[in-house]
Amino acid sequence: MTIEPICGRYLTVQIDGTPQRIYFEEAGQGRPVICLHTAGADTRQWRHLMNTPEVTGRHRLIAFDMPWHGKSLPPEGFQTQEYLLQTDAYIKTVLAVIDGLGLENPILAGCSMGGRIALQLAALHPDKFSGFIAIEASDFQPAWYDIDWFHRPDAHGGEMGAALVSANISPYAPEAERWNTLWMFMQSGPGVFRGDLNFYTKDDSLIARLPMIDTAKTPVHIIVGAYDLTCTPEDAKRTADQIPGATLAVMDELGHFPMSEHPDGFLPFFRHGLSLM
Amino acid sequence: MLEKFTFMQAEIARRPYLQRLGALFSETVLVQIDDQEFYLTFDKGQLVDLAQGISRKTPWTFAIRTDAEALSEFWTARPKPGFHDIFGLVKLGRGRIDGNILTLVKNLRFFKDVMALPREMQEAAQ
Repeated sequence: MTIEPICGRYLTVQIDGTPQRIYFEEAGQGRPVICLHTAGADTRQWRHLMNTPEVTGRHRLIAFDMPWHGKSLPPEGFQTQEYLLQTDAYIKTVLAVIDGLGLENPILAGCSMGGRIALQLAALHPDKFSGFIAIEASDFQPAWYDIDWFHRPDAHGGEMGAALVSANISPYAPEAERWNTLWMFMQSGPGVFRGDLNFYTKDDSLIARLPMIDTAKTPVHIIVGAYDLTCTPEDAKRTADQIPGATLAVMDELGHFPMSEHPDGFLPFFRHGLSLM
Repeated sequence: MLEKFTFMQAEIARRPYLQRLGALFSETVLVQIDDQEFYLTFDKGQLVDLAQGISRKTPWTFAIRTDAEALSEFWTARPKPGFHDIFGLVKLGRGRIDGNILTLVKNLRFFKDVMALPREMQEAAQ
């Protein structure tokens, strides 16, 4: 029998006047690290690192499900709303969770859209954080697909989304973790992946903000997997080149969901990132 | 190259999960490799017909076009980055997908799993 050290609770915060009941879980003690999941997924992507004593011995890892994701319900009245994630609401949500939990200058680690918002926060709210680990993060990627594919009445958006993002998983990923990673996409609520992609593929406001980031005050470390077709190493390098002082690491055998698809392969890169913060 | 598709055909037939995933997939797919054309006709997920040769009379729902070298790398157990997925081939400029893409996307897991089957043929030969 095994009981893991991860503990989950709920936090209710007001975001633009709307109460949002947010599920968060945490493990470890020490310097706080807020962990942001990718589009169409949830906190389970971080469970391996939260079960890694080499990380949790010195860091308090806190991951939360964005509203509409995982165990965070959508807001009241969602049944007639169209979920479309916007940069401003995303930023407010991260800041509300940090304030709600009383965290002082946590490190922010985000993957994919979480990495994108990490860089937005590095530009706009650096005083709230002590550093940024932006994983599979880049300035902007327009969609090469139609995001409406993933929310339609005649097909299962989650299964289609999982099949699409499987393109971003490395062939070096252990088979069990490949499928656990895809399962989260399969479980994603109707229209949620599409709504996240709205933020990820349509908002290019970060491009102009990258030079505002002051890495002397808050370090920025970008990590990217060679098998990531969505945010390629070239995309990540182009982004890092626009941030004076940012550092970049390329993981030759990993893809777009490194902490989830191949936790053992990701661990040294994540620990290195923490050491730079 | 034909043996890859006959292997695919046999492997689908002995895997109930693929037949389940492909239960609503009854389409003809054109796989073009350099100047070679292969028409794969599926009926409820079973690969029921394999036709080789250039044809202007065979209707197809969608087509995947690539080159033999790229497809050979795609079919290794651990392809190089980009060669590991059909969309990666497109991104690398080594592949093109035409036709009714929505039908492909609705059946994407089935079709990707089917296209990847010859990787096991490579593994068995090693």
